Amino acid sequence: MISFWQNSTTPMKIRGAIFLLFVIFLYGPLITIGFLAFQGPEGGLTFPMKGFSLYWFKQVILPDYLFDFRLPWLRSFILGIIVMIITIIISFMAGLAYRRGFKGSNLVFYGVIGSLIAPPFLISLGIGLGFANLELLSSWYSGGLGAHLTWSLPFGVLIMLAIFARFDPSIEEAATDLGATSWQRLRFVIFPIVLPGLIAIGLFGFTLSYDEFARTSLVAGDANTLPVDMVSATANAARPDLYAVGTLTTIFSLLIIVLAFGVVYILERKRGIFSAATGSSTDENENYTKSMH
Amino acid sequence: MSIQTQNQESETSKISEIFKKYSAYFQASPLVIVLFIFAVVPVAIILMYSVFIFDGFVTRPGFTFTSYIDFFSEWSSLLNLWHTARIFIITWVITLVLGFIISYFLVFDLISFRVKVFFFLLTVVPFWTSGVVRMTSWIPFLGSKGILNSFLINIGIVDEPVQFFLFSEFAVIVSYIHMFTLFMVAPLFNVMARINPNLIEAAKDQGASGFQILRFIIIPMSKPGIIIGTIFIVALVATDFTAIRILSGAQSGSLANSVSVAFFNGFYPIAAAQSVILLALLLLFVGGLMRVVDIRKQM
Amino acid sequence: MSEITKKVNSKVSRRSVLKGTAAAAGAAVGTGAISGFPTLWAQEKVVLRSVGSGVSHIEPWQKQAEKDLGIKIEMTALGFDGIQNKILTQPKSFDIAEPAGNQMRRIWGSPAAKLQPIEIKRLKHWDECIGMYKSSMKTWSDAKIGDGQHPAKVLYNPGKKKANKFAKAGGSDYLTFMPTVHNADTLGYRRDLVGYEIETWAEMLNPKWKGKVCLQAFPDICMMDLAMAIEARGDIKYGNKGNMTKEEIDKTFVILNDLKKQGHFRAFWTTFMESVNFMTNGEAVIQSMWSPAVTLVQTQGIDVVYADLKEGYRGWTIGNVLAGHLKGKKLDAAYELLNWQWAGFPGALFGRQGYYAPTPERTKKFMSADEYAYWIDGKPTKDGITSPFGGPLAKPGDVRDGGSYKNRMGNIAVWNSEYDEFAYLVKKWSAFQAA
Repeated sequence: MISFWQNSTTPMKIRGAIFLLFVIFLYGPLITIGFLAFQGPEGGLTFPMKGFSLYWFKQVILPDYLFDFRLPWLRSFILGIIVMIITIIISFMAGLAYRRGFKGSNLVFYGVIGSLIAPPFLISLGIGLGFANLELLSSWYSGGLGAHLTWSLPFGVLIMLAIFARFDPSIEEAATDLGATSWQRLRFVIFPIVLPGLIAIGLFGFTLSYDEFARTSLVAGDANTLPVDMVSATANAARPDLYAVGTLTTIFSLLIIVLAFGVVYILERKRGIFSAATGSSTDENENYTKSMH
Repeated sequence: MSIQTQNQESETSKISEIFKKYSAYFQASPLVIVLFIFAVVPVAIILMYSVFIFDGFVTRPGFTFTSYIDFFSEWSSLLNLWHTARIFIITWVITLVLGFIISYFLVFDLISFRVKVFFFLLTVVPFWTSGVVRMTSWIPFLGSKGILNSFLINIGIVDEPVQFFLFSEFAVIVSYIHMFTLFMVAPLFNVMARINPNLIEAAKDQGASGFQILRFIIIPMSKPGIIIGTIFIVALVATDFTAIRILSGAQSGSLANSVSVAFFNGFYPIAAAQSVILLALLLLFVGGLMRVVDIRKQM
Repeated sequence: MSEITKKVNSKVSRRSVLKGTAAAAGAAVGTGAISGFPTLWAQEKVVLRSVGSGVSHIEPWQKQAEKDLGIKIEMTALGFDGIQNKILTQPKSFDIAEPAGNQMRRIWGSPAAKLQPIEIKRLKHWDECIGMYKSSMKTWSDAKIGDGQHPAKVLYNPGKKKANKFAKAGGSDYLTFMPTVHNADTLGYRRDLVGYEIETWAEMLNPKWKGKVCLQAFPDICMMDLAMAIEARGDIKYGNKGNMTKEEIDKTFVILNDLKKQGHFRAFWTTFMESVNFMTNGEAVIQSMWSPAVTLVQTQGIDVVYADLKEGYRGWTIGNVLAGHLKGKKLDAAYELLNWQWAGFPGALFGRQGYYAPTPERTKKFMSADEYAYWIDGKPTKDGITSPFGGPLAKPGDVRDGGSYKNRMGNIAVWNSEYDEFAYLVKKWSAFQAA
């Protein structure tokens, strides 16, 4: 890794500046929330800050008066991970299917679009009524999981289509000519190239599920997920514990991501297990740079 | 003997042929199953509810088109549709430009794969804080005594707090850009990353200007990403009912808002009928989009 | 981890104390939630799943109920629209729910809701319940009945599982719901910015406050607040503010649309949090509020008053309904919980948030004399009142806004209601938002 950037030109600097401003714009509200979470017990929801303490974090971790956000958070986190994994697998498979083409692909495509643009309550209400009519109790890990998938899968599948849309078939043909089996082709040719896309899909899957309220609201059964609980809390209270929850969950998710990155990095170093994946892209990109100079 | 071997060989090749022939079906099946159970069936149930009888308080099984007729006989439905369309177009233009620049920066200006992923992650992290809390946190920023207004008054640009910063369409669009730009970035980022750098190099060698490269190589080749991003944005804007309520101070209408008002009051057939109409309109829109650029044909 | 261990330990010890109740063997096995070890220990306890608002569904309520009754309560807090949706679409997802009195026509009329009536003879403290819920519909003989859907009008169930019609007040041995909390709502205003005492609802429409007025975004409730103001200003004389005719709704929306065009309203809020935010951020000078929201803003040192207006208050009630699937040991436990709700501890807990419970005499036993004097009797506090979070809420000598229980609940001008023309109202409301 020589440098983070390409040779800097004025347009590049402008783009960089726009990106920087965008990131500041994205983080503005988050920073407000982060600061306000550190208020004293008498703190409110707005500046100026009243006192400085870890009181509201303590209230979240060991609640003695407010809502207990711990189990809802755990449910949301687990659900997010499950949605992430399923979304990656199903989207990848669907992407391959679309690459080959199949009868009815048009119908399925509009099914995907329909699922994406269906008003969220409609999905939630429909699934909820379906369960109720079957005399079943929907819960976050059954009806809730399904509702989240109807939201995360279209994103995953469409991003997969975007990736395969510009996928040069000659690479695959070359691999076949060199005698690669279809599995080898998948593992060593296609997979590494789509890996960045799969990471993006996974992140989307987790993020979309983790903060999903409307689709969950009628299918969570007798155990709420975190967003449902947070919305209830705003309906019934106005205390900085909400900010503390937001801050804590963000920090936690961030730690998990950093940890995951670290593990991948170490594995890569040790066994080169992901070298086919991340390595090739890195090389590819570094090649651009070299040729650009 | 030899005939037998031949037979065997042809049989194995037949099996592998069959497998090859149907593997796409196998690969598509999990998607189809999930969508069928959790999207098609619920939509069918909603279709059924949309023709149920609603007596003003209570929903009863039956068959009537009253909820649909109600929708089409109200002037405000058209107004809501117009609001949704207008907010979408403004949001779409801004997120497209912003998303394009950001993706371009991530793909072409940054070097290492890990740095790209890191920067991409940087834009995802804010989404892990509850949306409702994030939306509410705009109030101390955009409000009449908010940070932005205090700043503008302090440097003397305005004398009075600017009221339309908050509880207006402006605030709604700001929050949409805040929340939805990422959904434009993701497909664009992935499409742009697939553009063969040799192509750009070749163009450069031929003496193409930066603008020409953008105009004739990058934009045409990013089209599927733009289309998919557009589908994301229209879906997100048209179905949002939370941000529009909180940031317009519940003073702005949209189709999704109208659905949610009906829904929260327990008017299920009305909410269902309006949802079905919204869904049909959006499908028509995407269908039209596919006529312009069919992302599936570009594969 | 230590928290879980603590929970397990406390459950074990409680279990040995409450051997009697624990005999309800196998009534509740783990419910599927991620509850880990505790369910193993709590297996023999009855589990009740309660869906309610943040008024009652807070930690101390749950802990005390579990301790006093030896049952396990899994509580889910939602907004009132969420509670109603649960009742109407997921009847199996709760054992006890806490809807509002002004949802009863929708809930009991719906074929999808599966509820059971509450038997009055099983309510231990029924005799101590205030008169408002009995045949007189009055707690004090000189109290106003008020316009609209007085809770007693929808409280009595003819005794059938499904009831489109309600029995008249006191006219049945069954209840549709058991009231738990009630209160009188009014306007909150920034005294520091207004500069004088506001005495009438009409002040909400005073052009002086253009761009600084906030209301609730619930169409039914907002409509009643507006009707109070419009009637006080003398524009329209309503036949029944709690049950407007189509013409009255139309006329009101003409005024409302006009005000919207002028920019009279700053915003409409849907959540408690928003209403507090609007006040603390200075977006609102005068706004329709809930009592605890006012209290919360006051604890942040802002001079907000919960106005005592001459036209009276807007009243509301919430209460518990029983799921239709409850029977046997679970039903017994549910009745025990209902009785506990009126036994005093919850009343005191709600009282400290500014609400009222239907058995004030029992509430008294769980509040200090000074607390009771301040919250219920509307007298000055001797020692000052602290908020549940330890901060000061009222200084010695302070009096609660609006004064005594009687001054507030005896002066209800209109109740949160379900209009006959409710569907028409909601349609008009959507159009108003779009305009």
